[in-house]
Amino acid sequence: MATHAASTPEEVSSLLADASAARRPIVVRGGGTKASWSHAGTDGREELSTRGLNRLLAHRHGDLTATVEAGAVLGDVNGELARHGQWIPLDPNWPDRATIGGIVSANDSGPRRHRFGGPRDLIIGIEIARADGVRAKAGGIVVKNVAGYDLARLMTGSFGCLAVVLNATFKLYPLAPASRTLVIDVPDAAAVRAIVKALDARHLTPTAVEIQSPPTRLLVRFESIPASVNAQTDQTAKIAADSGGRAVPVDGKEEEQQWAAHRDRPWSCAAVLKVTLLPNDLPNIVDLIARTTGADFVITGRAGLGVLTVGLNGTPASQVAVIEALRKRPARTGSTTLLHAPDELRAAVGTWDPPGDSFKIMQGLKRAFDPNGILNPGGGPLGI
Amino acid sequence: MHAELVTEIVAALGADAVLSRDAELLPFESDGLARLRQMPGLVVFPESAEQVQAVVRACHRHKVPFVARGHGTGLSGGALPVAEGVLIVLTRLNQILAVDLENHRITVEPGVINLEVTRRVAPMGYYYAPDPSSQVICSIGGNVAENSGGAHCLKYGFTVHHVLGVEAVLPNGDLVNVGGSALDEPGLDLLSVLVGSEGTLAVVTKVTLRLLRAPESVRTLLAAFQTTDQAGDAVSAMISEGIIPAAVEMMDRLTLEAAEAAVHPNFPKADAVLIVELDGPAIEVEELFTLVGRVCRDHACTDLIIAANEDDRARIWKGRKGAFAAMGRVSPNYYVQDGVIPRTKLPDVLRRIRELEVRSGLRIGNVFHAGDGNLHPLVCYDDTVPGQGDLAEKVAAEILTFCIEAGGSITGEHGVGVDKASHMPKLFAAADLDTMQIVRCAFDPTGICNPGKVFPTPRLCGEVPGPYRAHPAERAGLAERF
Repeated sequence: MATHAASTPEEVSSLLADASAARRPIVVRGGGTKASWSHAGTDGREELSTRGLNRLLAHRHGDLTATVEAGAVLGDVNGELARHGQWIPLDPNWPDRATIGGIVSANDSGPRRHRFGGPRDLIIGIEIARADGVRAKAGGIVVKNVAGYDLARLMTGSFGCLAVVLNATFKLYPLAPASRTLVIDVPDAAAVRAIVKALDARHLTPTAVEIQSPPTRLLVRFESIPASVNAQTDQTAKIAADSGGRAVPVDGKEEEQQWAAHRDRPWSCAAVLKVTLLPNDLPNIVDLIARTTGADFVITGRAGLGVLTVGLNGTPASQVAVIEALRKRPARTGSTTLLHAPDELRAAVGTWDPPGDSFKIMQGLKRAFDPNGILNPGGGPLGI
Repeated sequence: MHAELVTEIVAALGADAVLSRDAELLPFESDGLARLRQMPGLVVFPESAEQVQAVVRACHRHKVPFVARGHGTGLSGGALPVAEGVLIVLTRLNQILAVDLENHRITVEPGVINLEVTRRVAPMGYYYAPDPSSQVICSIGGNVAENSGGAHCLKYGFTVHHVLGVEAVLPNGDLVNVGGSALDEPGLDLLSVLVGSEGTLAVVTKVTLRLLRAPESVRTLLAAFQTTDQAGDAVSAMISEGIIPAAVEMMDRLTLEAAEAAVHPNFPKADAVLIVELDGPAIEVEELFTLVGRVCRDHACTDLIIAANEDDRARIWKGRKGAFAAMGRVSPNYYVQDGVIPRTKLPDVLRRIRELEVRSGLRIGNVFHAGDGNLHPLVCYDDTVPGQGDLAEKVAAEILTFCIEAGGSITGEHGVGVDKASHMPKLFAAADLDTMQIVRCAFDPTGICNPGKVFPTPRLCGEVPGPYRAHPAERAGLAERF
């Protein structure tokens, strides 16, 4: 498999134009951390590495925006932005290896999506190279802008099947002066849900509200001025106690370690799924997974938003059973996507839920953007 | 008007839902941008998604263009009818279909008024965040089409951040669901493309919105300054202190005078006034609010008025949200502009606007969403003075040039519509517009869905992007370019 390394937008363009003319399939690769997600296989495909496109093109700190090339690693970028006390508030998987282009293309995010949203919510502009090599921009460098179609968000989560992201512009946030996380041991997912509802009812403003199971825990993070962090963690500890939970506060280095461990937990499992749900269904979904798999699973995820990462071990049959059970839910009330999975499991259940009635438009967009079908063929969302 | 089409539509909707006489059509010849007028061929009032489908299918079959319209408050001519086309008015689709507070969701029809959403859930402690100034009358469907913002979008984002899913009728009449109730519905993010597409890709018939819990505490202050530069510097200082206010609005002397004359908010006389609102947990808001007050005083504010209660707060916001309409008190006519600049360019761009004011002889009032750099210059003119209307249009266009040169955009929330389509090539290169056209053609290959909006010279779908070549339909004499 040939790998082309591009270090300028012009190189990306000319590689794509050549590949299009010759109808040679190409898969874009950044840090390679999510290369197996949704992937239709790499046989015979050429790779286009964006790692050479790794500059922070602009940090307009007075305007709270930054423009970053696709191959830049998120952790490095945020290190630079921190000089002015700002960051792109994304904490996806593998932040020290994952690139901006990969994070945007997979629309991956982490616990702090609870407060700040995901890539789709933070991106304000994009430059892409189309399959025919033509470079195009959409959006811009201002946070408020409704001129033209929102191609930046269309590219977000498209797994590189429409075009190659060259650079992206994001809305930034100031780094908070204080942070503390409560690690709350709870009896079950119903208690998690009860605490999440109570946090909301008391108007608290956590930046992350994460379930972890088994054993079932809730991690609640507050980032603000110290007085607010203190007051809100105290209130949360009381709420937890009322629901039969026991809260332990962590901050500083220990807090960061706690979150890194939380993020990594599912990824040692044989198969890893993304499961979305309506927030109120959390206890039912956790029970369903536990019941169907036995004990051999790991759940982490956004308890307030209804976005889980589910790691499955156990027998292949039990893995299939849990995925099939999750996919029996009514349309548009939650989805089940294979992120990392053995080929047999992928073959047995498919990476994606069956497509809905807007699939034709997606296929039409794919054909129109990439008429020769060279960009990650079959590896786009829903297999387009 | 196409007789067969009319017959089909009347059969599907009933005669009382179809207007075709000139006198009946007249009220629909423009939207909120009244200087653009075009009589539609037919105005229809569907009451269900099925009826919308029937209308769109008939249009598709007869190749007749259609335009969707909500309450007609848009300020860029996005709902301007097309001659001999069908105007689909969605005001009868006005039901709140489902309220799901457990999951913070509400599902509404597109004709529901923005403020009705918040009114429905406010007693239970929730609200819908996007709050355009027209929220008492504008519809959710229109908000989706325009990706509406409002004063509070600095902290809470725009419509695109609060719409979870829609049901929509495609230009061929197919009914599709895009997005859902849960987050991250798998597939390409068509929802983000539909939101803000100004009705050029589909007609939305149902919308699921995200509700927010009302904050524990909201504090609002008003600070007066001797210059807009001082006020702008104060905003910069707040942001660099790490404060993201729920809203920061600026009004200049002319708009203050107008607001005072119209709604009597009792604002201080000053060259610039900032309205700053913070929300969140009480303890956090109190501490940061004190800091905001100090920043204003450090920047030589001449008056600092803190809203003591909800009545005070409502009075302050009434002064701000009524500013556009209030301009009628100081000028017979005015042109509302909507441009965006990087916030730090505010002093430069304001200076250029002041110079333009002197050069043109037309007074220009300024209202800004100062936190996010969204300017609303109001160009005053008198239509009874020959040539002044045209001059105002030129002046407003020049302000957009300032915005583009500052790295900003030609619209932050009012949309491109017809009004600014000709400015798009100044903001975007031909390749950028071609790429957007790819999206349009994937949704609407026959070009019947709100044509003539957003893009200056729409390509016929199927054309190869690049230098002009005659389209097969043109060569065959079936279409022409204008």
